[in-house]
Amino acid sequence: MEMWETAGYHPGLGETEVQWREQTFEQGGERRRVRVPVPDEKGLQRLVEVVRKNRQTDLASLSVSEVVHRIDQTVERLLDRNHPLRRRMEDWLPVVTGLAPDVIRTGLTASMKTFRKPQLLRWLAEDFGNPAMLDSFQPRVNGGFTRAISPHLLVHIWSGNVPGIPLWSLVSGLLVRSAQIGKVASAEPLMAGWFAQALEEVDPKLARCLAVVGWQGGDESRERLLFQEAEVVSAYGSNETLEAIQSRIPVTTRFLPHGHRFGLALVGKEALNPARVADVLRKAARDVAIYDQQGCYSPHCFYVEKGGVLSPRQFARMLAHELDIMQIRYPRRTLSPREIGEWNRWNQQAEWRALEGEEAEWIGGDGRFWSVAYEETGDASLLPTCLNRAVLVSAVNDLEEVAGRIAPFRAYLQTAGIAASSRRMFQLADRLAETGITRICALGHMTVPSSGWHHDGRPVLKDLVRLVDVEPSAEVAAEPHNPYSE
Amino acid sequence: MDLKSQRVLVTGGSRGIGAAIARAFARQGAAVAVNYRENREAAEATVRSCRQFGGDALPVQADVTDEQEVRRMSEHIFAEWGALDVVINNAFRPYPFDPEGRKPFSRLEWKDYRDQLEGVLTGVYHVTQSVLPQMQAKKSGSIVNIVTDLIARPTVPYHEYTTAKSAVVGFTRNLAAEMGAYGIRINCVAPGLVYPTDSSRHTKESIREAIADQTPLRRIATPEDVTGPVLFLASDYSRFMTGQILYVDGGLVMS
Repeated sequence: MEMWETAGYHPGLGETEVQWREQTFEQGGERRRVRVPVPDEKGLQRLVEVVRKNRQTDLASLSVSEVVHRIDQTVERLLDRNHPLRRRMEDWLPVVTGLAPDVIRTGLTASMKTFRKPQLLRWLAEDFGNPAMLDSFQPRVNGGFTRAISPHLLVHIWSGNVPGIPLWSLVSGLLVRSAQIGKVASAEPLMAGWFAQALEEVDPKLARCLAVVGWQGGDESRERLLFQEAEVVSAYGSNETLEAIQSRIPVTTRFLPHGHRFGLALVGKEALNPARVADVLRKAARDVAIYDQQGCYSPHCFYVEKGGVLSPRQFARMLAHELDIMQIRYPRRTLSPREIGEWNRWNQQAEWRALEGEEAEWIGGDGRFWSVAYEETGDASLLPTCLNRAVLVSAVNDLEEVAGRIAPFRAYLQTAGIAASSRRMFQLADRLAETGITRICALGHMTVPSSGWHHDGRPVLKDLVRLVDVEPSAEVAAEPHNPYSE
Repeated sequence: MDLKSQRVLVTGGSRGIGAAIARAFARQGAAVAVNYRENREAAEATVRSCRQFGGDALPVQADVTDEQEVRRMSEHIFAEWGALDVVINNAFRPYPFDPEGRKPFSRLEWKDYRDQLEGVLTGVYHVTQSVLPQMQAKKSGSIVNIVTDLIARPTVPYHEYTTAKSAVVGFTRNLAAEMGAYGIRINCVAPGLVYPTDSSRHTKESIREAIADQTPLRRIATPEDVTGPVLFLASDYSRFMTGQILYVDGGLVMS
């Protein structure tokens, strides 16, 4: 029997007032169908009005701490593995995304954990210093007052199959108390709607300030209409997709594009001894395997320093073994024909490079669901890789060289995982920060950004709001008009 | 490994390790009887996947701790196939491998031990009693008892479970000593933590990581990992081995 699931969340718009797009997902012989609500332009306009009105009556009046409390209660439900929605997530997402059930389960828990109350409070403090400025004008240290004004409507365009992404977006929008409309990604259309349902259990009024729907990406008339109404548009996708979206956004609407990016890792010679390397390798392989490098934070290249007890070449071979183990623990998802094409091309190139001389090696081939290319000449032609567990291990004399090597990728860099001593880690952080890297973390943590991270170097929440200042001059100028002024 | 047309019984064969073993025998061309206690649907699914390899397979219901049911099951198999060449004693009483939820010794009652001994040892005893006469008559046969590497290294002290499995090792060695005279071999396979199975789903990721970190082959076992050594002990490749334990745990235990 084929199983069905309904995606989306569309308050104020009935079942029959939207069209339904059907999607089929197949994985390991299992076939499941998802129907995604697709409103027409009139429906979309209605959703805009409904979520905006609901925000005005039910969300705008809540204090930021009340909102935090409700999000906390929502994720508490979703952290409970026996909650019906959580069970649906664990049941459906492996089939929909193709990711291994263990990846989904641990990934869901890890991302939900970042949205608990203490983490949310830290995130707010990170972005605003004093989060009360979301509620009212707050005094500034050097005079005057500032208040953060929420956007009345925030629009999200999601892409890809990493289930945590829509959560980040929706939670950010809630924290700044904005009405939100999100367009689901066809690769994973379910998560956002489930989150809205969980929120509905906690506070139905709050949930009805969100809408989650779908339409054919690039649909000009729907997107123009929506972007016209939005105050902020946040979008994920390739640079081409983002440029197309940008062309439809009025200049008065703020656009927050999140393009494709990739990560890399640096392993210092101090980590390359038999006692420490096992832990480093386990974590490195994990960062590659989780989400099959689909995340913008996933590592494509490991820069490994010469001079340790173990050589970079040995590191590459041992990494290959760890990736082999990962295939048993977290099997890679089935690749699409397009991905297989890219995989074959990249591997062919890696194999050719290896045949050219001793300075390169390729560990991969038939029946393997991972691929490791090794090189020691500084050749970066294999970067970025073809994804899906393909990595380059590049030997360097000194990790200080890495900054120069990655300079050509400046616009595409995001996370760097580092295994090195404390002093060197900070020295490297300084160098990497100048190259375009915006996040430095431990190996093993690359796919789990901490709460309040500066996504692509931006303060996520602050970017959504408008800061309104009351300057000291206004305060001073008001004084003489007071009835009690003498 | 020539197991073609061998007649094999796998107890507790509907799910987890047992199902993997049943399929592995079927892949080698053996006829497999898949024993189950309650989950008929799972047993039938295993039987179907065995038949896909072209050989015979049948689901056989019996609670192995019940002498009558075991006798009935064996008679049913003998009626179908004439005899059994290989028996894999894999069934055990459901036990949640939950390191955080396990009972410490102070909270264990004798009943807990008795339950496990009955669940594990009684089953092995009944099944072995019911198949040995015909193995003795044809002067051949191989019995493999599935135990655990915890008997040598109690990474987590699951007292009652591991004690019962240790009893199976004693049972195996005594029987091996006596049955050698008939050309019948009895051995044990001792897997480490196997994931995923219904029993190990309570074992948290962090515990699995910790065990994998200590394991030379750097991971924990899958149900399929256990099948190779079982097939080996069932086949003539191990014809001069009896009373032995093969550890299948990536090198965690070396003995």
